[in-house]
Amino acid sequence: MLDAIKDVVRKSSIHVCIVNCGGCNGCDVELVALLSPRYDLEQYGIYVHNNPREADVLLLTGAVTEQWIENLRRIYTKAPEPKIVVAVGNCPQSGDVFNQEGGKVHAPASDFIPVDAEIPGCPPRPSEILEAILTVAPGAIASKGRNQK
Amino acid sequence: MSSLIWYLYDFARKAWIEGFTNAKSKHDIVEKPSRFRDFPEVKKELCIGCGACTSSCPSPNAIKLIRETDDEHKEGLTFPVINKSACIRCGFCAEVCPTNPKTLLCGENHLIHPEFNIIPSQREFIVDNFLCIKCKKCIKQCPVDAIDVVDDKVQVDPLKCISCEQCLDVCPVNGAMKGLYIDNLEDQKKLILLVVNTLEKFIEKEDDKLRNLPKDSLVNLEFPLSNIWDKAMEIIPDEKIALDIIINTISRLKIRTIDWNSDECKKCQLCIGECPTGAISFDKQKDTIVRDSNKCLRCSICYQTCPFGVIKYFISKFSINLNEDDEYIIYITVKASQLDNDLLRG
Repeated sequence: MLDAIKDVVRKSSIHVCIVNCGGCNGCDVELVALLSPRYDLEQYGIYVHNNPREADVLLLTGAVTEQWIENLRRIYTKAPEPKIVVAVGNCPQSGDVFNQEGGKVHAPASDFIPVDAEIPGCPPRPSEILEAILTVAPGAIASKGRNQK
Repeated sequence: MSSLIWYLYDFARKAWIEGFTNAKSKHDIVEKPSRFRDFPEVKKELCIGCGACTSSCPSPNAIKLIRETDDEHKEGLTFPVINKSACIRCGFCAEVCPTNPKTLLCGENHLIHPEFNIIPSQREFIVDNFLCIKCKKCIKQCPVDAIDVVDDKVQVDPLKCISCEQCLDVCPVNGAMKGLYIDNLEDQKKLILLVVNTLEKFIEKEDDKLRNLPKDSLVNLEFPLSNIWDKAMEIIPDEKIALDIIINTISRLKIRTIDWNSDECKKCQLCIGECPTGAISFDKQKDTIVRDSNKCLRCSICYQTCPFGVIKYFISKFSINLNEDDEYIIYITVKASQLDNDLLRG
């Protein structure tokens, strides 16, 4: 009974934390566009808190830089279970244009923390990000919540 | 009034209920507009395996040329594969793809083929907007209407230009219309370096005249062009091009010279620490100060530092003209730097 209620609640209210681990801010601008009235993220019950302690979903942007390796692990441990990590844009997936020879980025981010979903694009369209969060997050959070027991 | 409030209340209530039960974005927000440049499409049958797409791609892991395994009937195809998690959708690969029709398709804006109508020419004509006085004489003169005013600036359209060089003759400002030679840039650099280095050495040799130069007066020197003409011909064999380049170089040249009377030097070594490039050093065995002219920037800091006025700083300007015997002579005007006066005047 309690699990069923938890599942319903988790499906309809997702708290999101944006983590920019050293990118060009292009993806962050697209994420901010999601908060605008045109896309209106909150109508789907998604709230951007930017506090990993309250977050269900960590949105990673940016190729992981030297300083962010430790901080990324720290932020991941601070987020409460069940949590999922979504890599927004190409940078956390492959390093994109920053991953040149002799570069100092440590992409992909999945080397350091488990990444559940990836959204390709440089940057991805706001609707693509929204679609990915909505399709991945509720199911993944609910199933992870069950696995914890 | 009350009906209006009631209407608004009713409207808000309905919208709230609708939004609560059925929250979704409008269709046109979710859909991509037709002009959106998405990930490139690959038609692998058309690929010739030239690798232009991979070398043009700004992202290191985005595009790879792969080859299928051969079977009994035919060889395997070679074609590019796009890695979506590294592609930035810039469309450069589609732009450079040389096959017709293109192997890679990415948006419509990269498929424009400008018609090739450039007449092969050694020169490219460029207007220096810093010098241009916008008299528009070149626009009137141009026989093919290649010169036009764009954004308040006179510009030459290289696609229309036929290299008749009439604009160069008609331009009243020396150097505002430039006819650049584009074939032999490296040779041009060598020639300019040769001219500048020989002139600098020539000025440095005349140090007797320079040291005794009273304040606010000039030294005039003459340097016949024939002295370096043979060397210039070795670098660029075409007489007209070589002369053009030398004249262009000289008319805007300004050489700064640092002169050093080592007999009067008190060896206080103040200038050594001040030199930003470390060009000045003290030779202990010979007990002299040595200046490395290859490292020297001619920044005049040593001249400003020296408390005994041993270091002198000169500025030379140049012009080139024909003399009575139809020989090109480079006229050099050297004057001592007025830096101290300028500083005092503030």
